[in-house]
Amino acid sequence: MTKKTRLLPLIVVPFCLTSCGKVVKYEDNLEKYVFKMDYHKNFNILQLTDIHWNINSSTYESKRYMDKVLKEAYEHTGHQLDLVELTGDMFMLSNSFEVTDFVKYFEKKSEEYGFKYAAIWGNHDRHGLYHPNWLANQFRKAKNCFYYEPNDNLYGRSNFMINLVDATDKTTVKWQIANLDSGASFSESPLSPFRDYDYIRKDQTEWWVAEHAAAGESVPGIAYYHIPQDENLKLYNNRAAYKNKFFKLEDFADNGNEEYASDFLDVAKTHNLKGAFMGHAHNVDWTVQWDDLVVGLGVKTGIELYYAHINTNSTDPAMQEGLASVGITENFDLIGASLVTITDENDNIEGKFDLEHLYLNERATNDFVSWVKF
Amino acid sequence: MKKFFSKENFIFSTFDKNQRKQSLIISLALIVFFVFSAYTFLNAMYAFADCIGSIVCGSMDSALRDATRSLPLFLSCFMSIWAMLLFQAAFRNVNDQKRVRSLKKNAIALLAFAGVNLVAIIIMLVMGKFHSIVEGAPSPLYPLDSILYSLIFVALGIFTLVYLKKFQEKLPFALPQRGEVVKKARGVYCVFVSFWMLIACFSFACFSIGLFITDFEHYFFFALALTLVYWTNVLFFGVWEFYYNELKEEKKKEFLLPLAICGLVVAVLMVAIYMIALATNLDAPSNFGFGTLPIAFTASVNIATLVVVFTPVIVSVTALIKGLLKRKGTKASSEEEKPQE
Repeated sequence: MTKKTRLLPLIVVPFCLTSCGKVVKYEDNLEKYVFKMDYHKNFNILQLTDIHWNINSSTYESKRYMDKVLKEAYEHTGHQLDLVELTGDMFMLSNSFEVTDFVKYFEKKSEEYGFKYAAIWGNHDRHGLYHPNWLANQFRKAKNCFYYEPNDNLYGRSNFMINLVDATDKTTVKWQIANLDSGASFSESPLSPFRDYDYIRKDQTEWWVAEHAAAGESVPGIAYYHIPQDENLKLYNNRAAYKNKFFKLEDFADNGNEEYASDFLDVAKTHNLKGAFMGHAHNVDWTVQWDDLVVGLGVKTGIELYYAHINTNSTDPAMQEGLASVGITENFDLIGASLVTITDENDNIEGKFDLEHLYLNERATNDFVSWVKF
Repeated sequence: MKKFFSKENFIFSTFDKNQRKQSLIISLALIVFFVFSAYTFLNAMYAFADCIGSIVCGSMDSALRDATRSLPLFLSCFMSIWAMLLFQAAFRNVNDQKRVRSLKKNAIALLAFAGVNLVAIIIMLVMGKFHSIVEGAPSPLYPLDSILYSLIFVALGIFTLVYLKKFQEKLPFALPQRGEVVKKARGVYCVFVSFWMLIACFSFACFSIGLFITDFEHYFFFALALTLVYWTNVLFFGVWEFYYNELKEEKKKEFLLPLAICGLVVAVLMVAIYMIALATNLDAPSNFGFGTLPIAFTASVNIATLVVVFTPVIVSVTALIKGLLKRKGTKASSEEEKPQE
């Protein structure tokens, strides 16, 4: 072996690692980002968010809690749970054993209740003892999971659509459910002491607009993603002007910087987006009706990491405001799930849906279960 | 270069065959327990960072619940580190008497950690905190694997105590001895060395695991830069622990300054590469995969990252100052020794 040939691997290996694979242009492949499901009246979408399985988790207890949430939602919907949206932070500082267990659990439950589920990246899903591509492959391989991650020119690891189509012709799109990767965080400079939370980038908005146009301008849509955008806070500060409900017991945990504000909601609102639901801030499930668009955070699912304890005797005005809006008169924890039921008739799509928040707490004798309509 | 690696520079060149064998065995044990410490420390960091995340978000009850469930993870880390300290005590000490005392203390500490772990797991099983002995998560056999791990250290602790009792302060092995740390500086020295050792453990675990689970595909330059930083931390630890500390006293004095200068150059270069990689992709740290900097991610601060990145620079600067002071001292004393004209 000459000196030159010995040096060859040093050049070749980095090239292999950087994957010289072709970057796909989303503009030319819009149809590849789309999954389809049959639409029917009272199509139910259950949002589970911030489950946060981590190295400290007792997955035994987490699964027991999740069993109760899924059973409750299944019974509440009259045994018609169609889609489960996992809106990010399914894991945090987790390992491959826990991820495998999680996917197996959801596969088993989706067979049991007959739902499909969609996996959306949260900021913490990237931080574990596994390769992000390996995590993506677990979802990709799962039979009942919607997940798409091409090597494309679009920001985020995975952005995809679920088109709810006419059950007979299988092509007419009735509703469109967007699943966006709102990223993780970034530094403003190499020496920044803090990180800013990420936001939905311009190219993702453009992709959404293109996908929506392909489905039909009149098609109503719902978007699910993880990190709240700047609109949440703006609407909260002006909440007297809008119908709003539920709790806001901490910041929305967006980046709070006008320079990094997303244009997504502003643009999508003019293209028939009817709902935008996210997670990220566990002590917040505050929801607002912004003209025709409902914007809100889902209820945190499960006891992992942190969650708010709602105390009816609290002097915190934000807690009292939330309590007054939901009408619950006993102490409970802000954990559970959120349910969207699309109520449009099959042949008369008007963009109508109901939103309910489920608060479910395990208790020694009778579990606390409360459904609150928006 | 040959000058630095000449056999004659090292203490072991003065050893007989038996001493060399003993030295080798203990070095190997040190390396094994360093590896154990590295991985268990990373696990403990993960568990700790998650608890910190809960505390930062105002949920002390969740943090306590999680810390209790993960107590075996924390204690496993302590056991591994104490086993490393045990062998370190055997390897280098001021004199044989201190060596025996230190070995005894570390063996008792090791037994205490393992014992507390076993008792804690049994209590948690009885109280129903663990639903079975193989409840699962974070590993399929948790907490059984932690029980088995503790038993290894119980055996090691008991073996050490029995061994010491058998030989009654007169150990049948003779290994190199080191100079005593000045009493005044002992506190600072202990903190610095402990911190340095933990950074080395952390960096080794991150370097070795990171090679397989970081996203080189999408974040090649950043992942490579951070891998180099981890490698530098491990390399520096190796150089100062296993090279410098094995030198004869006169060689230590001779090589300290050149080693510190070389180290500083390498460290500054690595930090510069890391900063360039970060500046060209500011999203990279939280997207490249692998939560190698768990506290940075849970609390969204960069400080943890910067500590890890700047550690080799701090170590080299400290060594450089030490080297310069020693050189000044040597010069002054040699001038004093010069005959007056």
